[in-house]
Amino acid sequence: MNNDLVFTPIRQLAELLKSRQVSPMQLSEIFLDRLEQRGPNYNALTTLTRERASRQAEQAEREISAGDYKGPLHGIPWGAKDLLATSDGIPTSWGAAPLKDQTFDFDATVVRRLEEAGAVLAGKLAMIELAGGMGYRQPTATFTGPPRNPWNRETWTGGSSAGSGAAVAAGLVPFAIGSETWGSILSPANNCGIAGLRPTYGRVSRYGAMALCWTLDKLGPLGLTADDCGLVLEAIAGPDPHDPTAADMTFAYDDSPTEGRRFKIGVLKDVADGAEEPVRENFEKALAAISEVADVEEMEFPDYPYVAAIRTILNVESAAAFEDFIEEGTAAELTAPEDHYGPYARTSVLATDYVKALRIRGVMSREVDGVMSKYDAIAAPTSPRVASPIDEEFRKASPSPGPGDLMGGIGNGCGLPSISVPSGFSDAGLPTGIQFMGRPYQENTILAIARAYQAMTAWHTRHPEDALEG
Amino acid sequence: MPDENKKVSRSDMLFEIVKAKYGDRLTDEQLEEVRSGVDGVEGLAAELRKVRLTNAVEPFANFQPYRGADNDE
Repeated sequence: MNNDLVFTPIRQLAELLKSRQVSPMQLSEIFLDRLEQRGPNYNALTTLTRERASRQAEQAEREISAGDYKGPLHGIPWGAKDLLATSDGIPTSWGAAPLKDQTFDFDATVVRRLEEAGAVLAGKLAMIELAGGMGYRQPTATFTGPPRNPWNRETWTGGSSAGSGAAVAAGLVPFAIGSETWGSILSPANNCGIAGLRPTYGRVSRYGAMALCWTLDKLGPLGLTADDCGLVLEAIAGPDPHDPTAADMTFAYDDSPTEGRRFKIGVLKDVADGAEEPVRENFEKALAAISEVADVEEMEFPDYPYVAAIRTILNVESAAAFEDFIEEGTAAELTAPEDHYGPYARTSVLATDYVKALRIRGVMSREVDGVMSKYDAIAAPTSPRVASPIDEEFRKASPSPGPGDLMGGIGNGCGLPSISVPSGFSDAGLPTGIQFMGRPYQENTILAIARAYQAMTAWHTRHPEDALEG
Repeated sequence: MPDENKKVSRSDMLFEIVKAKYGDRLTDEQLEEVRSGVDGVEGLAAELRKVRLTNAVEPFANFQPYRGADNDE
């Protein structure tokens, strides 16, 4: 029974909980034990929150028994990227050795909202130090050890939401929350063969989350399926007086069947050029599959220095967000050698160049939306490559900046939602991913496309042997 | 004797500022990495400077005057 529950999507777990075939206490114990016993295999766990989980699971059990069922997350365990503030003396390390004992006396809005939905916080999950804000280049950039990929422990999970990716892929939690400034949800979703949803900027309150770049940071779910991501997004999205950038709108997940619906999907010209062979092959097969339910056509974005503009904004805002770290020399206490000096160059950006980047951002956002208004989504490989070796500098190992970065630059720069789901595997058994990127606040559309794709494929039903043993 | 005709690049000047601020805490090897990083930052900026915008194009960042609750006392 336990193994049957481990890789079960949220909707099915919810049915078992609601019908009282499984109790919240039983479910939380399974995942707490897996986090404790298997988390170290992947360096996925920072702090096990057993006490809080037990309290929340007991409460969920009482409520469900009394007929007070809150919805599909009631009694479901989850893991939080360790940049979300948690009370009760639970540390929030931001993945950084100098902050490993940092605590807060409040819960991040996302943590609070999940508690209100009845979810059970099972653990704080490992992450790249300061979410990569110091310019890390390799997986060892965290004091909890290099995050290991459940599909092959000698490869890395992607980052910076590394533990969130590994924990979901290894069945240590049914879902996790990650954050993305540029690639930090989609990258682990790709490498770990799971679903990851980067919401529209402002869709989810960031109150209580570590700030890396105020105008780029987003929080979003990683789960086994696109449907899981939709269920979680509904619980965490919405306005928040504590976060002035949170959009003044709620999100109702539209999970209606996609049968009979036809989508229009754009594919950026030459988007898979330069990608590794299995990525390119699997992307082409994915497009062939999705063309059963969508008209697929090649398109182009207008020519702007997307990557340069957003990289400049990222450089300036991260240097400002971690000014104390830089000025006081605390960066030297971080784990990755390149993070000791990485931030200093970022302080050299001229103010006029930063403002120019912000001005270009407005122009490109309007132009990009004009193009995207013709499509339900733009599809692309989530990453041009499969998971890289754990001891390799991934930035040096990556192909030269190209279409993959362009999708990241446009998507994050314009605050667009995107979902990544697995599109197949390499001969070496490493996952590849396809992303569907939509217009702002169009999460329901990209979720529907991803669900339709997952209804036609079975990649999401495969799980790492490493995580199935025992 | 310094070559007074040698043109100092913008990147050189920016690196000297960074070096003056933080150089005492960095090794020569780290400074070389910082030098490379400053070149990268300047390369990004050079791409941005090529884009011509009219005077009316504003930064895409919202500023709103803040007014708290009125004090009736």
